[in-house]
Amino acid sequence: MLTIQNLHARVGETPILKGINLEVKAGEVHAIMGPNGSGKSTLSSILAGRDEYEVTEGSVIYQDDNLLALEPEERAWRGVFLSFQYPVEIPGVKNIYLLKAAVNAVRTHRGLPELKAGEFLRLVREKLKVMQMDEAFLHRNVNEGFSGGEKKRNEILQMQLLEPTLAILDETDSGLDVDALRIVGEGVNLLRGGDRSIILVTHYQRLLDIIKPDYVHVLADGEIKLSGDFSLAQRLEKEGYEGIRAA
Amino acid sequence: MTGLDTLLESRQSDAARHAMALGLPTKRTEAWKYVPTRVLARTAWIEASPHVQQADTFGVSQGQFVNLPSTPGLTITKGPLTDSESAQLARLRGRHGFQAAAQALADVPWVITIEAGQQVRLDLTHFANTASSAAFGLCVIRVGANAHLHLDERFEETTDTTKTLSEWTVLITLARDAQMDQVRMQTAGEGAHLFHTTHVTVDKNAQFRHFVTDFGAQLARLDLTVDLVGPHAHTQCHGLLVTGGQQYHDIHLDVNHCVGHTTSAMTYRTMVDGQGEATLNGRVYIAKDAQRSATEQSIANLLLSERSRVNPKPELEIYADDVTASHGCTVGSLNATELFYLRSRGLSAADARALLQYAFAERVIDVLGDTAIRTDIERRLLGTLKHGDLIRELQDSIDV
Repeated sequence: MLTIQNLHARVGETPILKGINLEVKAGEVHAIMGPNGSGKSTLSSILAGRDEYEVTEGSVIYQDDNLLALEPEERAWRGVFLSFQYPVEIPGVKNIYLLKAAVNAVRTHRGLPELKAGEFLRLVREKLKVMQMDEAFLHRNVNEGFSGGEKKRNEILQMQLLEPTLAILDETDSGLDVDALRIVGEGVNLLRGGDRSIILVTHYQRLLDIIKPDYVHVLADGEIKLSGDFSLAQRLEKEGYEGIRAA
Repeated sequence: MTGLDTLLESRQSDAARHAMALGLPTKRTEAWKYVPTRVLARTAWIEASPHVQQADTFGVSQGQFVNLPSTPGLTITKGPLTDSESAQLARLRGRHGFQAAAQALADVPWVITIEAGQQVRLDLTHFANTASSAAFGLCVIRVGANAHLHLDERFEETTDTTKTLSEWTVLITLARDAQMDQVRMQTAGEGAHLFHTTHVTVDKNAQFRHFVTDFGAQLARLDLTVDLVGPHAHTQCHGLLVTGGQQYHDIHLDVNHCVGHTTSAMTYRTMVDGQGEATLNGRVYIAKDAQRSATEQSIANLLLSERSRVNPKPELEIYADDVTASHGCTVGSLNATELFYLRSRGLSAADARALLQYAFAERVIDVLGDTAIRTDIERRLLGTLKHGDLIRELQDSIDV
């Protein structure tokens, strides 16, 4: 599904990623953990196509294609989805406009017919229920005035509607209280299975208690320093990054 | 000889001679330095021919009202003016030679009177001039005490590209407790050169709300002055300029807080594409004795191409020491993070840009509430935006 080889990237003159190697197979859930400033969000952004980072070396192959050569929307059409760490507020754009435009853009490029208004509303209402969101969210501007938890739920709502093949969740647990964390986690779990792969970027084990990863990687100083199974996340929680480094 | 001199000479009047002596404003005139005035001086303007009767729509044709409406509480006459109205026109004449020329070439002013306590709604169309002609008109609007005038102004859209020139000067007085809503949707043809001057006097407890959108015309300039002369007088002035091609749009706004306890709010948005140029000059003056006044001003400009230009100039001139004033002015392009967010959800770059431009405009269009002219303005906006059809489809499928 996704093969990252020797990926180097920088912002301006500052190198951020210094040789990432990662293989994600269809249906797998990988957690990427690491201290602040280690490059986790940079990796997420590069995979989704944000152009403020310059890839200086290495490759990213997604479903046999060079992912780095694709525009952000082309990646979305092919099933790549990024849940933003800081979902963007867009005053003046109704949430429902974005959702419908996104769903139909993705469907069209996957060779599916566009959803008519009634079909779309039925689908979105069903997903709203799963995410325990009020229908009023649809008619508010995208993320404007949303609480931190509402923004993250809105991200997972979009993920549910777009049904990605590769979902990258960038610190989706940050800013969530216990209840919201459960709702978001369960929302993601519903999408688990089949060929869908998920990369979870997080600081803490608490999200991983709900979404159990197949693999855990520790990213530090722009490189994956350590990989293991769920027990690695438990070790991190107990010993911290410094403890793991010292060992 | 300027392009208007032939017309002025034919008048053989002192006013015409005075206008010729003043001359047209040039790039050296501060308030006109961005205006491409050469068209005024270098075009051989001809007199507008007598107006053609247009269907049964009330409007301005060649500087004259046509198809006068019959509405309770409303009277429309030709003159006479009060002394203070005549004095106000004289002050405007002194501003520059073009206004002096316009008044010299205009006919007797029209007078619209809304009787005290009456509510009147008027729809007015500015009809296109005949080819190569210049038309000048004067109008006085008196809104009586506790009356409410709602004036929606639209412009005839033509495909004729021949140059035309229109000047339309309006004096408005709002008596105590009166209200006026003026919404102007400018969609004139691409040969049109429009100069509109509006001077408003707002008395105690009265409210003047103004909204302008400029889509059309080769050149459109609006000089809007609002004098708040009675306590608790209030004005709101909003506008959206959608400028493209080689268009030039210009709003010069002056709000004068002449007495205390007066309030004003201004929101303007410009979207400039192609080789278009927009000027937004918003000046607020708070007199020394106008204590406890409040004003807020927001101007945001979106440059959508490398050759587009915008000249924003917010000005606050405050002489009182107990006032609340805020102003913000931004110039920029579409927000890269917002664009990326939309594209990461599968919207093409062009669709994402259209959606963000629409959102930018909506921030000011929203003040119109759920009105027919808002629907027309949105339709026009979406017709102007590349990929505006995406938003129209979304609206049609969801908002019904």
